[in-house]
Amino acid sequence: MAGSRNGKVNDDVWVIIPVYNEAQVLESVIQQVLEVFPNVVCIDDGSHDGSVETVLRTGAHLVRHPVNLGQGAALQTGLSYAKARPGARYFITFDADGQHRLEDASKMLDVARSGEADLVLGTRFAEDAASVPLLKRIVLRTAVLLSPAGRKLKLTDAHNGLRVITRPVADDLQITMNGMAHASEIVSYLGRSSWRVREIPVSIRYTEYSRSKGQSLLNGVNILFDLSVRHRGG
Amino acid sequence: MLIQFVLVIAVLLVLFVFVRSSNATYVQASKRVGLVLFALANVYAVMRPDDLTAIAKMLGVGRGTDLVLYALVVAFMAGMFSMYQRFRVVDRRYTELARTVAIREAEMVNSERGLRSAEVLSVATGDGDRTPVVTEDAKRPTIETADAKQ
Repeated sequence: MAGSRNGKVNDDVWVIIPVYNEAQVLESVIQQVLEVFPNVVCIDDGSHDGSVETVLRTGAHLVRHPVNLGQGAALQTGLSYAKARPGARYFITFDADGQHRLEDASKMLDVARSGEADLVLGTRFAEDAASVPLLKRIVLRTAVLLSPAGRKLKLTDAHNGLRVITRPVADDLQITMNGMAHASEIVSYLGRSSWRVREIPVSIRYTEYSRSKGQSLLNGVNILFDLSVRHRGG
Repeated sequence: MLIQFVLVIAVLLVLFVFVRSSNATYVQASKRVGLVLFALANVYAVMRPDDLTAIAKMLGVGRGTDLVLYALVVAFMAGMFSMYQRFRVVDRRYTELARTVAIREAEMVNSERGLRSAEVLSVATGDGDRTPVVTEDAKRPTIETADAKQ
């Protein structure tokens, strides 16, 4: 297994899982992640379906937003919490609905550990694009083409929730888009910065559950609006 | 008509100021100047309606009232954008506050649950065949490390 540098496997890695009403699948997702990565922090974003109790039954750390703030805010909270844990060097963002595969996360972590990249993104389009529903594929491709940073970095998939972030990037990154625009925000941040970014092909399990939870494509309109009207001064 | 030209320019200007401009002081100052000018123009328009109609004719608008309506649309748009931005700032502060509260509480709850990162455990039990990585954050006496020393 990679990363057993210090005797304990992956103890410098923190997996960040934003949670919003995911009680149905959450427990098995957390258990599976804990088998590979000992440090997991779940950020509950004001769930009201027992997700909190589910996290408490597992060995994952729990951070609870007192009110619902959005997925971007949850990711930033998770990063802030994980950064404050001693020895944290790598941060993996992971979706709570079980659509990401741990093998992909490990593969991406290996790339980050090798020092080839400061930030590793998962892409759904490198090899096995067929697993992505057609309409979603078109919209996601358009999102990348519309973003100057995405083009500059030659990204194929800007909106994948699976990322491996190394410590220096995590220290510098500040997610301010509380809602779903955070993915584009991260990409445009990367476009402005000089971090080395790598994309690694991953596959997504589009289960019925993850489909029902997936963000509506109409949300793309909201994201574009949020991104274009940046907050600037009072 | 001249008025179409003026209105399109005004709308584009508002959009530009809100979407592109990065100088906060400049934006804030121009918003305030704009507000004062708008108020003065309104007072003037009420006091001298005939002048207003003359200006309207010059711009190719039928009546002074119509000119006021057009100006109102532009001002309304600018106001909406301004509110939106203001809201974003408030939202950001509110997020920071909620985040701080959440993390503080989580540090207590998770250490009560007996959860620590593996590294902290090994430092606490002193089975140190390795040097703990002391990050900037770890130097701060957090609740967790204080707990670990007990």
